[in-house]
Amino acid sequence: MDIMNFLKEQAVQHGPSGHEYEVAAWFKKQFEPLCDSVTIDPLYNVIALKKATRPVSDGKRAPRVMLAAHQDEIALMVADILPDGTLRMGEVGGVDPRILPASTVTVHARQGKNGYEKLLGVVGAMPPHLLSDADRQNNYKREDLFVDLGLPAEEVTARVHVGDLITLNGPARELLNGRCAAKSMDDRACGGALLQAAERLQTMTHICDVYFVITSQEEVGAQGATSAAYGIDPDLGIALDVTHAPLPSSRPDTTSPLNMPALCCGPYLQPKVFARIRDTAKAHSVEVSIDTASRRTYTDGDALQIVRAGVPTALISVPLKYMHTSVELLDTNVIRESGRLLAHFLSELDEGWDNDLWS
Amino acid sequence: MELKTLCELPGISGREEPVRMAIYNECVEKLGKENVTIDRMGNVIAHKKCADENAKRLMIAGHMDEVGLMVISATEDGLLKVCAIGGIDSRVLVSKRVKVGYGENALSGVIGAMAIHQQTAEDRKHVLPIEQLYVDIGAKDKAEAESVAPVGTPIIFETPFTLFGDHKVLARSLDDRVGCYTMLRLLDDETNYDTWFAFTCQEEVGCRGAYGAAFRIQPDIGLVLEGTASNDAGDIPEHEQICVLGKGVAISFMDHASIAQPEMFKTMLAVAQEAGVPHQVKMAVTGGNDGGPIQRTRIGAQTCALSVPCRYIHSPSTVCDLRDLDAQYELVKAFLQK
Repeated sequence: MDIMNFLKEQAVQHGPSGHEYEVAAWFKKQFEPLCDSVTIDPLYNVIALKKATRPVSDGKRAPRVMLAAHQDEIALMVADILPDGTLRMGEVGGVDPRILPASTVTVHARQGKNGYEKLLGVVGAMPPHLLSDADRQNNYKREDLFVDLGLPAEEVTARVHVGDLITLNGPARELLNGRCAAKSMDDRACGGALLQAAERLQTMTHICDVYFVITSQEEVGAQGATSAAYGIDPDLGIALDVTHAPLPSSRPDTTSPLNMPALCCGPYLQPKVFARIRDTAKAHSVEVSIDTASRRTYTDGDALQIVRAGVPTALISVPLKYMHTSVELLDTNVIRESGRLLAHFLSELDEGWDNDLWS
Repeated sequence: MELKTLCELPGISGREEPVRMAIYNECVEKLGKENVTIDRMGNVIAHKKCADENAKRLMIAGHMDEVGLMVISATEDGLLKVCAIGGIDSRVLVSKRVKVGYGENALSGVIGAMAIHQQTAEDRKHVLPIEQLYVDIGAKDKAEAESVAPVGTPIIFETPFTLFGDHKVLARSLDDRVGCYTMLRLLDDETNYDTWFAFTCQEEVGCRGAYGAAFRIQPDIGLVLEGTASNDAGDIPEHEQICVLGKGVAISFMDHASIAQPEMFKTMLAVAQEAGVPHQVKMAVTGGNDGGPIQRTRIGAQTCALSVPCRYIHSPSTVCDLRDLDAQYELVKAFLQK
């Protein structure tokens, strides 16, 4: 799998939280050649199972490991149609209104006279010629911005309805040093890391049943991961999500270096599993950084940890810049290395892995 | 030349060379090398004579340059600091794609900003001025950034030319490739004037090119073909809309650079009416254009600006209506035959 190509393709798949059908079908296709079964559950979680390829002792069952990366993206929805046919926006997940003026978007008109059509829209911005000094001092508020479809009002009302979804346009652009910027890197890039791991496991053996899960509705509270984990009942869970890489304006203790995966520790994450991943990284020369979460991690990991009787959970993060914009930027080598780390971890997971998790 | 081709050529003010050469070549092809020059300011001036030796000298001006950015330095971590070339509201820059440099070696870049998760309530209110924004090309450090994008490198917005909606076009450089496009179309038409087409440079940074062009041409009449600001979308009261997309070419009585001679203004309205060309009066005094220098160079000339209304002008995503572009052409064509 070519990571840059993967990132380019993901950037043209649509999948706002709760509406992941398109991107889910695409992810299913990616996993099919690599796994024993791939299903899409009622919440649009993509569950790809790669069964154990090395036996466990008599009388024992293969441990179940669930890996989770989410496919949903931040988005907007049509909140109102103004008399001139322009659209007011509501949000689906946290969209920074500062990114919107003069952006292009896709309006998913689903209930109109033409059936499902994807319409190009432009988010309006005032001509600078008309701006007062006071205007220039205030950020646009989402409530005041509008989407222009370039259509007469009567066409808009016949084709677009309140509640139709709006996704950001953010085609991938290859930058220097293997870096790439696109929309929805958060968190489909981590889905790419899972694919990388699945690819490597084709020529490695493992005692565990590996569930690669591309979850839904993470941006609105890890809803997909909760039901996926209930169904799978994993013995061990690893969430993969993005974290913040440094910017000139950020506090150093709130970020992780752009060029390596970050392993997270904190009360929601199982310390021995964390240590095991860290040691695996060291043994295979995967350079990692360590970051911390004093409470919630704001990832699928939070949900995984307390599903059913509880799941020992770890979190691996891919640092990126400009999170929740349409230019989320990362280093493709981190996807590669995260996949390599996961594959080694899964292959080296032995029967005694959970003997004394809490001593 | 196709409008798409013309719009996609890069050409920020002072660095119009790709646009200039494409326009020069097309003028030479249509009018012959002897009638086309690139003057010492970088304007392309194309001359189309008419049979009447006593015909008035008409200068038709449209500017080749577009607003954009320019590299001014690189940070230690390889980010490009930039300045605006032309009037850009910094609020339209966040989360946009750009091309750094021109041609095959142009690099992709993005303008990011701190994630919403990491912003304080104060940050959210605070407008990021261009001094706090930067272009990220993925460079590792200052040395790499400086070697691939040295100080002075031009940067354009990266917005693919796209047709959408009802006769609408989305592009970054409609101001003023629409005017250039209309002028290239007019090269083929009959004219009753001693007609000089001036494809000007540096309009967006103070109409620098038009001074020299008007000095050389010494026109009796100057027509400025522009893309002008429209503010007609959303819930904007009618009196603040300036001009409206789809309602035809906008005829200006006045802007911040010049006052159209009342006779000229009336003539243009009459020509539009007679020829049945969709038109509207630009209902606000905003912006300025090459009409200023043309009106007041040497002993002066009569001028009037004829514009294609453009939404979200001077942003990465400018929108105009192709029917207005046709109207701009039809109006000037009718005037040439008067």
